[in-house]
Amino acid sequence: MKLLTRDRYRFPLAAILLVVVALVAAGCAGSSPEDGGGEEGGGELTWAIGGAEAAPGGVHQEVAKMWSEENPDTPIRIETLPDDAGEQRQQQSLELNAQGSGFDVLGMDVIWTGEYAVNGWLESLEDVRAEIEEVTIPGAFESAAWEDELWAAPYNSNAGFLYYRTDLVDEAPTTWDEAVQVGLEVGKQEGISPFVGQGAEYEGMVVNFLEYYWGAGGEIFNEDATEVLWDEEIALEAVEFMRDSVENGFYGSGFNTFLEEESRNEFQSGKAVFMRNWPYVYGLASVKKESDIAGKFDIAPLPTFTGEGTISALGGFNNAVSAFSDNKEAAKEFVVWASTNEEVQTLLGESSLPPTMASVYESLQDDPVMKLLGEVLPDAKPRPPAPEWNDISVTIQQEIFPAYNGEKDPQEAVEAVGAFLEESIQE
Amino acid sequence: MSATTVAGRTPAVRRRSGFSDSALARIFLSPSVLVMALVAAFPIIYAVILSLYLYQGRLREGFGGLENYAEALTEPRFWDAVQATMIFTVTSVAAEFAIGLGFALIMRQTFKGRGVTRAAILVPWVIPTVIAAQLWYFMFSVTPGFVNDVLGLERFNWLGQPGWAMFSIVFADVWKTAPFVALLLLAGLQTIPDEMYESARVDGASMWQRFWYITMPLLKPAILVALLFRTVDALRMFDLAQVMTGGSFKTEPLSMLVQRFVVETPNPGLGSTFSTLTFILVLAIGVLFVRALGRDFVLSTGGE
Repeated sequence: MKLLTRDRYRFPLAAILLVVVALVAAGCAGSSPEDGGGEEGGGELTWAIGGAEAAPGGVHQEVAKMWSEENPDTPIRIETLPDDAGEQRQQQSLELNAQGSGFDVLGMDVIWTGEYAVNGWLESLEDVRAEIEEVTIPGAFESAAWEDELWAAPYNSNAGFLYYRTDLVDEAPTTWDEAVQVGLEVGKQEGISPFVGQGAEYEGMVVNFLEYYWGAGGEIFNEDATEVLWDEEIALEAVEFMRDSVENGFYGSGFNTFLEEESRNEFQSGKAVFMRNWPYVYGLASVKKESDIAGKFDIAPLPTFTGEGTISALGGFNNAVSAFSDNKEAAKEFVVWASTNEEVQTLLGESSLPPTMASVYESLQDDPVMKLLGEVLPDAKPRPPAPEWNDISVTIQQEIFPAYNGEKDPQEAVEAVGAFLEESIQE
Repeated sequence: MSATTVAGRTPAVRRRSGFSDSALARIFLSPSVLVMALVAAFPIIYAVILSLYLYQGRLREGFGGLENYAEALTEPRFWDAVQATMIFTVTSVAAEFAIGLGFALIMRQTFKGRGVTRAAILVPWVIPTVIAAQLWYFMFSVTPGFVNDVLGLERFNWLGQPGWAMFSIVFADVWKTAPFVALLLLAGLQTIPDEMYESARVDGASMWQRFWYITMPLLKPAILVALLFRTVDALRMFDLAQVMTGGSFKTEPLSMLVQRFVVETPNPGLGSTFSTLTFILVLAIGVLFVRALGRDFVLSTGGE
């Protein structure tokens, strides 16, 4: 090739090659020290957690900083995972399945406890059980245990709220029918969507659906998950409500592509009357500079079909110690600290992340989010923490999502879910 | 052609010692073959082996033989994925070809600002696919609704309807890779000598006749190469669907189906089955193309 022999080209070519080699070397060198949380056992801990608050500026980052300042020999660093809980689980399970030591502390969604424990991915926390149990609210504590053994330290809880525009609506609705009526009226007047929630094909949609299903009196399993209590009629009612909401416009256009952040975006820019979302939105939507509705909205318990009581899905994160961590002692101390330290839990509460420590609810009573949580949390229902939950959730997604979008017959969909639940019990 | 390309029989050059030409060729080729065997052949074979076992979660349960294949081929989600992949491939390759050809014809002309035009046409191709996908996701999404605002549509749910969701993905793909096709076709166009056009003009041929009777036939090899590349790439598309629709509304391609089963669920046995079936499909289509390409190449460049 002429290029290699012409003198004029030799120098630039050599320079380019050198740059490429340097870049490659830098790339390779950069990645190796990160692998493995602690190098000599007294090193840095890695906390794998996702969601809006794990990003720089979020409250989890502040908690990590607090710990690192108080424990300079074992600082902790956050490995930010994606926003979507399903994708967080994928990332964590890839590492854990390879028995990698890259993650020391795992920020686990409450529904994964059973699955992770059965796979042998977690370090048991039975020896610190008493310490944690005495300060934690009961629902959150149960979500961190599987078959009566404690596998994770509750960190934050979560429940669904109804957000509503105080400048457009006088009072929060107590039934879904009322919400639909008011929403459609006001929405038409103002030219905005009546309602936004999480309708995309993922776990969040399952949460929204279950809130309707439970709100109509349905159950999934009995106490110890030995019997399926899936009621096809009630499920059909819930699916048809969703289907009708798409058709009559109660669900704003695009509802079936929204996750938490998209629905927050819509509501925060003033384009919706009602929203179903987690408490974290309250803090963010109150910031005048970023939100178009600061001061013009409020929160209320979710409506039901009967108008009595309220129901919401219990969510949240628990911190667990990876069974493959190089630094289990320090990791264990961190998870217990995050669960039982008053300052940390208060910090969470102030950022609209429901704490799991009972005493914080009393001390922060003036905060509107905490007050509503105090009302709603006792009635918040957990999804079954069974190891098969992921499969069940995927089945519900695949059946109910097309059903409410008019792509599938609702009766067939609810029957298919029932059949799958029966199958999973038998295993 | 025949005199110069037969290896090992170059007359009058006899090695004094050491290896013959063909043995030397083999030695020099072996590192590449070894790397390809490790990187390409091993995963394929391993996937086939994995697909013969049954799994519960990540635990191997036993030898299943062809049971996974029976399950995969009767799974409606598999056929939906095949359909989605085919629709995507056919529409995006057709659109890319048409637009790419147009771009190539423009880029071939000499006019003021040709350099800038060429650079502008190539910019989309340079952007990493996943970033382009994220950009188009924001554009098409109902919130904040850029495309809707520009077109004056009120909250049209591009990404949330079957049909339009696929349209959005195809649109993003065509935006991104039509420049690539344009480049390939431009290279082909530049091999067509100007004298042909001149003599055609002298003979009174119209622009359309020049295009159809001179450009197209001589461009055939480049066209087939471009189509081969783009078809095989489109059959393997993953990131556009993952980012823009998550696979909902009948946009789940085969590669996403594989990822769902191998990583997300997980069921390595069934996932490997899908993976192997996808491989067979893509290989079959690729071979068909290469056959058509090979025949044409040989015929148009002088025969063997």
